[in-house]
Amino acid sequence: MSEVVIAAESRTGFGKGAARKIRREHKVPVVLYGHGTDPRHLSLPGHELLLALRTPNVLIRLEGAVTELAIPKGVQRDPIKGFLEHVDLLLVKRGEKVTVDIPVTVVGEVADGILDQQMVSVSVETEATHIPEGVEVDVAGLEVGAQISAGDLKLPKGTTLVADPEALVLIVSGAQAAEPVEGEAAEGEAAETAEGESAEAAAEGESAE
Amino acid sequence: MLIPRRVKHRKQHRPDRSGAAKGGTRVVFGEYGIQALEHSYVTNRQIESARIAMTRHIKRGGKVWINIYPDRPLTKKPAETRMGSGKGSPEWWIANVKPGRVMFELSGVAEPVAREALKRAIHKLPMKCKVVKREVGEA
Repeated sequence: MSEVVIAAESRTGFGKGAARKIRREHKVPVVLYGHGTDPRHLSLPGHELLLALRTPNVLIRLEGAVTELAIPKGVQRDPIKGFLEHVDLLLVKRGEKVTVDIPVTVVGEVADGILDQQMVSVSVETEATHIPEGVEVDVAGLEVGAQISAGDLKLPKGTTLVADPEALVLIVSGAQAAEPVEGEAAEGEAAETAEGESAEAAAEGESAE
Repeated sequence: MLIPRRVKHRKQHRPDRSGAAKGGTRVVFGEYGIQALEHSYVTNRQIESARIAMTRHIKRGGKVWINIYPDRPLTKKPAETRMGSGKGSPEWWIANVKPGRVMFELSGVAEPVAREALKRAIHKLPMKCKVVKREVGEA
């Protein structure tokens, strides 16, 4: 994986007032820690960091206030607008092994039934400078009842599984939504209102107790 | 219809309408979801109606998750009644939904089908909402 170079500035003000001031300047407050060092408070350009974080476990080379390699450990986003509020960066060294979660992506279509993906990312140990972007699972032709566990995943070279090998990644189950849809189609809205009334009556009955 | 089996206090104060959702703001179970953009009280009837709209559109296949539960009662005084004489009787069961909350999730269907199903469900809900997709490898 290639590195992304981002210019870092050191940060002296702390607390929500200082953090908001940094965000108003289209920057993101960041904390950098790892290897037993004291945490260092930085601010990074918002747009560049946002683009870099589109790649899972991106390797960031910080330049300016500090010259270090880091990977994202925790990202806080605004739940509605999606902008970055704060990022935790973990210090890494070349050749060092790190434990990260890599995304599990599904390829192909199942032959029958619904694909129920239980695990969307899997924990692996890999070299910090060669973190794979993800692991692919081919589900083409899988029948109902087929399942794939973490141990069955074909991990990229140099990567070892940390997660439980027995953990279920995905399962192909039978069609689930078919029964209620047919039942509801027959009953229609009349059933809905009747149900509503009975629920209200039940609530009244409860109140009497 | 979703309704609590037993409640400790059958007449409660109206829930707080301020602030944003503290949790449940990401799609975690399915692939697509409906995220609230405004605050609102969502009744059990609206939840059921949205669920039906969604499941009818996806027909066979697909799995639906409902992440909210209508556990708060709202009361109403009868029409043309003078003020006083105590609190009205419980009328609705509502979920107190705040902006950012992912209320419904869906998986197991193609993206155009999922988006249309969720759009139909949004029409049954009392607030502005948007369809969100699970981010790949979100840290």
